[in-house]
Amino acid sequence: MGISATELAEAPVGAAEAPEGKKLAGRSPTQIALLRLRQDKLALACFMIVVLLILCGIFAPVICNLLNIYPTAATIPYDPSQVLDFNTGLPLQGPPNHGFWAQHPLGLAPQTAVDNLARLLYGLRTSLFVATAATVFSTLFGVVLGLVAGFSRGWMDRIIMFVTDLFLSFPFILGALAMSPIIVSHFAKPGQLGILSKVQLFSLIGILVIFTWMPLCRLIRGQVLSLREREFVQAAQVMGVPTRRILFKELLPNLVAPIVVATSLSLPAFVTAEAGLSYLGIGITGIPTLGQTIFDAQNWWEVYPLYLWAPVLTICALVLALNLLGDSIRDAFDPRTRR
Amino acid sequence: MRFKSPLIAISAVGVLALSACGGSGSDNSGSADQTKQNENIGNTGNFQDASAKGPVTISGAKTGGIVTVLTLTGVQTTIDPSEVYYVDTSSILSGLVTRSLTQYKYDPSTKQMILVPDLATDLGTHNDNYTQWKFTIRPGVKWGENGKPVTAQDVAFGMTRCMDAATFPTGACPYYSNAYFKGGSKYKGMYTDPGSKFNGIKVNGQTITINMAKPFPDMPYWGTFPANGPVPSDKTVSDPKNYKKHPWSTGPYMIKSFNQSKELVLKKNPYWEASTDPARTQYPDGYDFKLQQQSEKIDQIMLADTGTGQTSLTYDDLLAPDFQQMKQKAPDRLTLGGSPCTYYWAPDNRKITNKKVREALSWAYPYKNVILAGGLIPNVNAIPATNLMPPGLPGRTAYNVTGRQGFNSDPAKAKALLKSANAMGYEIKFLFRTDDPISVKGKDAIVKGLTEGGFKATPVPTTTANYPAARDNTSEDINVRSAGWCSDWPSGSTWLPTVLGSTDPDKSHSFGANFSAFGNKAADNQMNAIQTMPLEKQADAWNALDKQIATKYFPLFTTYYTGIAQAHGSKIMGDNDDNTLGMPTWKDIWVNQ
Repeated sequence: MGISATELAEAPVGAAEAPEGKKLAGRSPTQIALLRLRQDKLALACFMIVVLLILCGIFAPVICNLLNIYPTAATIPYDPSQVLDFNTGLPLQGPPNHGFWAQHPLGLAPQTAVDNLARLLYGLRTSLFVATAATVFSTLFGVVLGLVAGFSRGWMDRIIMFVTDLFLSFPFILGALAMSPIIVSHFAKPGQLGILSKVQLFSLIGILVIFTWMPLCRLIRGQVLSLREREFVQAAQVMGVPTRRILFKELLPNLVAPIVVATSLSLPAFVTAEAGLSYLGIGITGIPTLGQTIFDAQNWWEVYPLYLWAPVLTICALVLALNLLGDSIRDAFDPRTRR
Repeated sequence: MRFKSPLIAISAVGVLALSACGGSGSDNSGSADQTKQNENIGNTGNFQDASAKGPVTISGAKTGGIVTVLTLTGVQTTIDPSEVYYVDTSSILSGLVTRSLTQYKYDPSTKQMILVPDLATDLGTHNDNYTQWKFTIRPGVKWGENGKPVTAQDVAFGMTRCMDAATFPTGACPYYSNAYFKGGSKYKGMYTDPGSKFNGIKVNGQTITINMAKPFPDMPYWGTFPANGPVPSDKTVSDPKNYKKHPWSTGPYMIKSFNQSKELVLKKNPYWEASTDPARTQYPDGYDFKLQQQSEKIDQIMLADTGTGQTSLTYDDLLAPDFQQMKQKAPDRLTLGGSPCTYYWAPDNRKITNKKVREALSWAYPYKNVILAGGLIPNVNAIPATNLMPPGLPGRTAYNVTGRQGFNSDPAKAKALLKSANAMGYEIKFLFRTDDPISVKGKDAIVKGLTEGGFKATPVPTTTANYPAARDNTSEDINVRSAGWCSDWPSGSTWLPTVLGSTDPDKSHSFGANFSAFGNKAADNQMNAIQTMPLEKQADAWNALDKQIATKYFPLFTTYYTGIAQAHGSKIMGDNDDNTLGMPTWKDIWVNQ
C-alpha cells in the first residue's frame, strides 16, 4: 500500500495547499487529508453517489410503501398469473413490450411478477448491510490482532501470524461453498425457515469476515513493528504506561491512515463478493440481493434487457464510486502524493 | 422410468402443444390436429412390426460429420447397460451403442415409435398364458471391441447379470426381471451371491427361453431396455467396477472415450452391419456429448447456429425466453413432441388421511404460478393433467374427478372443502431447495397459493444434494412430496403398481416410487388380477383402476404432463421426438454437409 505511518507522523505540514491567511501549525495529518479530499471533485461526486445509494438502501421500506410496490413473491398482493403472459412469462403491462408504467417504474420481473424497483432497493439494502458489517468486523479483527501481534512479538506474534497464514492459505470460495449446505441442512426442519434466512445472512457476513481480515492484520503488524521502536513509545514504556494504553492511545492514532484506506477499499470488494456468492447460489434465501437478481435476469437479457441492466448498473455505480472514493482517500492520506 | 437426472424433480421441463386432454379450456395452441396427436403421446401400443428387417436407409442422407450433443444434466448417472434406468442414458445406449432383444423405430408418417425386433429375429413367441417367452438371436452380430460374434449365451449373461439388485441398485431389473422371471425374486445376483445359479433363462443354440413366475405379456417391451442385451461373459471385461466406464458395443457406435460428467465421445463401430439391424443407421462419423454445459450457453449456441453449432443438438429443454425466440427465428429447428411423464404432488397418505384435505390441496395448488416460476412453457412442456397415466397409454380415456379445469386453481373451493373437513389452517410441509432458484421461486408461489386456499404452508429447506435423500426418507417431517414418473413402456403396468402399489414404508423404510405412501389391499389385489388378464383387456382395466383409485381415495393429484422443447442446428437432420422417452431419435440422425 506504500503508506508509512512514520512519515505521516513526522511529515512537515506542506505549505503549498494551506489556504491563505491561515495558520500553518496545528493541523493533524487527518485534517490535511480531509482538506485535500474536499478539494477533489471526483471524490466529492463519488461521495454523493455513495450517500445517495446508502439513503436508498436505508429508506427502501419507506420508498416501497410510498410507491406501493413489494420486493418478494411472498408479499405481492396480486396474483402473478393475472399480470404476466402465461405463455412467455413476460409482464402484460410496462417494459419490455409496453411503454412506461407508472405503478411499476422499472417494470415487473418475468415469471414471478415481483416489482423490479422494490427488489433493487431491498437488494441494495442487503448488499450494503452485508458489506458494511463485514468491513467493520474484519477491520476490527485485523486491527486488534495486528496491534497485539506487532507489539508483543515473541510467541504471541508467532501464533497470530501462523493463524493469519493458515487462513490466507484457505481458499475462500471453497470455504463458502462448503459452509452453505452445512448451515441449510442444520435448519432443514419445518418452521425454521425464518431463522434460516437470518442465520444465512449472518453466516455470510461471518464467512466474508473470516476470510478477509488477514491482509489488514499483516499490514498493521508491520506498521506496529516499526512504530514500537520509536522514541515516543519507548518513553511511554519507561514511564510505566499500561500496554493497553500504549496500544490504543499511542500506536492506534498513528495507524488511522492505513486503516481508513484499507476500509474504503474493502467496502466495494465486499459488495462484489456478496453479489458473487449470491450469484453462485450460496448466499441468502428469502431476502432479495443484487447478486440473485442478476442471476435471475441473465436468462432474460435478450427479451427483457432492463431487468438485467438495473441491478448491474446499480452495482457498477456503487462499486465504482466506492473504489474511486477509496483511491482518493488513499491519495489524500499519502504524503508522497503531495504536490 | 426415471427422469434425466435425479435432481430434476420440480425444475424439469418438457414440451408439446396440447390443450384438450381432460377438456381443459385451451389457451391458444390447440388445433384439433394437435389434440389428436397429443392423445397419442407415447402410444406405441398399437404399433408393432415383428417382421421389420435391416438395412435401414434414409433417402438423401449423407455420411460423415460429427454430431455434437450439449446437455447440462445429462449422463450424470451410470452407463452400465445392466443399470441404466434414466431416460437419457437409456435412450443414448439403446439408440447408438448397445443392442437388446427388441427396440423402437421412429415412423415419420405417424410420428410414433414402432416396436421392432433387434437382436431377436422377431418380437418373441410366448405360450398361451404368457409364462414362457422364446427369442431367437440373429447371427452376424459382432462385438465392436474385438469383432467376435455375439452369442445367445452373451445375451443370457447380460439379462442375468442385471438381476443383482445390490450391485445395480438404481437399475430397472428388480422391478421386472426379478419380479417376473421364474426364481427371480429369490436370486440375489452373480456378484452378491457368486455360488448361486439362475435357472429362469435357458439357452439352446441361438434360442433363449425365459420362464416366468407369473404372466408377463409385456416382455417384448421390457426387451427394449439395454439391460436385456448382451454383456461379454468374460469376467474381467464385465466386472461391474470397470464395465460402467466402457460398456462394449454392439450398435453402430462404440465408446471412444468417456469422462464422467464431462464428455462422452462415440466413434463408428466397424463390425456393425446395417443388414442385421431393423432400425439403426450409421451416417455420422461419430458423436460428441458435451456434458454439464450451462443452459444459457446451450441456448445461445442453438440460437446463433454458426460453426459447430450447426451440427449440434441438445436434448435439454430450451429456457422459456429462448424458446420464444427460437419459435420466431427458426421454428424448423425446434424438436417438439410428447414425453410420457406425469408430475404430481403426493400427499403422504399416512399423515394426510382425510380425502377432503387432499382434494382441497388440489384446488389450492397454484398451477399457473408454479409453471410461470419454473420457466415452463405452457402447452409445450407443461400440459394440464388429469389422469395419473399420461396421454398415449393404450385404453386411456381422460377422467376428471374433481372437475378442476386446466391449470385453474380455486382458493374458495379449497377453503370450503377444508371447512367441511374441519381442517382450516391445515399445515402442509413440503421440501424446497435453497440453492436452486427455480425451486425457491416455486416455493414462494406455492406458499402464497396454499395460504390463500386456507392452508398453513411450511416450506422445509434442503439443498439440491440432500433433496433426493430427504424426499425418499420415509420418516422425514414433511407431509407432501413432489414427484414425477414416466412410462417404461405404454402400459398401465408400468404406472399403477409402481406409483400406487403398497410398499409399506413404515416397515420397509422405502417408498419405491410410491411417494404418496398409498397402500390399499383391494387395489393391490386388483393390480395383480389385471396382470393375469388377457392382454387385450388389460389396457381398459388399468385405466378403469386408475380412475377408480382417484375417485375413491384421491391419493395424489397430478400437476402437469410433460413434453419436450429441444433444438438442433441447421445441418442436423432426422432429429425427431422419440415419444417413448422424450429424447431425440438417435437412430435416424444424419449431418447435412
